[in-house]
Amino acid sequence: MILSGWESVFFWVFGLAALVAGLLTVMARNAVHSALFLISALVSVAALFVLLGAEFIAGVQILVYVGGVMVLFLFVIMLVNVSAEEREEERLFNNSTQVTAAVVFCALLGFGLISVISRAAGPLAAPGGDPLMSAADRAAAGRQARAARDAALPAAETRVSRISEDTETVGASLFRYAALPFEIASVLLLVAIVGSVLLARTARQERAADDLDPGVPPEPARVGPGRSADVDAFSARATGAAEEV
Amino acid sequence: MMSLHGAAHALLLQQEVTGRVLSGIQHPDLSKFLVIGALLFAIGIAGVLVRRNIIVIFMSIELILNAANLNFIAFARYLQDAGGANAVAGQVFTVFIIVVAAAEAAIGLGIVIALYRNRETIFVDKIDLLKW
Repeated sequence: MILSGWESVFFWVFGLAALVAGLLTVMARNAVHSALFLISALVSVAALFVLLGAEFIAGVQILVYVGGVMVLFLFVIMLVNVSAEEREEERLFNNSTQVTAAVVFCALLGFGLISVISRAAGPLAAPGGDPLMSAADRAAAGRQARAARDAALPAAETRVSRISEDTETVGASLFRYAALPFEIASVLLLVAIVGSVLLARTARQERAADDLDPGVPPEPARVGPGRSADVDAFSARATGAAEEV
Repeated sequence: MMSLHGAAHALLLQQEVTGRVLSGIQHPDLSKFLVIGALLFAIGIAGVLVRRNIIVIFMSIELILNAANLNFIAFARYLQDAGGANAVAGQVFTVFIIVVAAAEAAIGLGIVIALYRNRETIFVDKIDLLKW
């Protein structure tokens, strides 16, 4: 999987766009801006998926993340009050010692991962190389192999610019080897739907759904035109509670 | 004589390094995708550790999961070209990760709404009922 020509241009454009948008997601003061930057990061990663020949996953990424999850995020941002953070009344980050420690830790993590990747890049790029060669020989062989490879690469004709048949293969593999996990995933989604509805309902909706609540006396049936004092007090308390939520 | 030899060696080495870097920029391979994924992962971890707004923390978690997805897809493509046994296994895994991420976002945002009703705040350092 070596990209060339316009594919490498698109790789750098979308890869750097994903990184910059990810950074801005973390740094943005307005939560809506954060969500929009995260959308651009996800779309850039979807473009990288297309470059890698995974068009189906790219489509799923756009549909599920951008179309579903991020819309949910935006709704929740509208439901909760984030304006104190925007008006700079609230600190954006944790206190400075925590931030310093976290940034140092993440920089170490990033550098460690990159150094491990670059150390593994040689064997990954040329599988089956002889590990017993001397360093100079290996460098020379690598140079020759790279030159030969670059000469052999046609400009942007590395199978990526065409739509591949991978989607069919992914579907067949999903249902052939992962049918049980697929069903479990559907049950998981059902549980998530029910759970999120259950978590997000208001106290009044809970009272309406549950059969009885020991804390709140049941609403007495209205028998006549007159209403007793305690019924009035109860309804006043109930409306107060409803306004509170 | 020795210094001349050393200078020539250094020049060769520099040419070698420059050529390798240029070739890597012109022809990105698996390791470049992995580097992008690692950096996205680190950015996401930083967001989780640094921010106070719980919604932005959830967004950072999505970023982390996406970095993992990028690694899966890159390795799937690498295996495909190397002739692996089940070369699209990485893509199948990615589908499941996306499903789990969607479920996690739904549950997490439900919790955020319930928390906001009860505590009137979305800042994680103010939600400290369990803190000793």
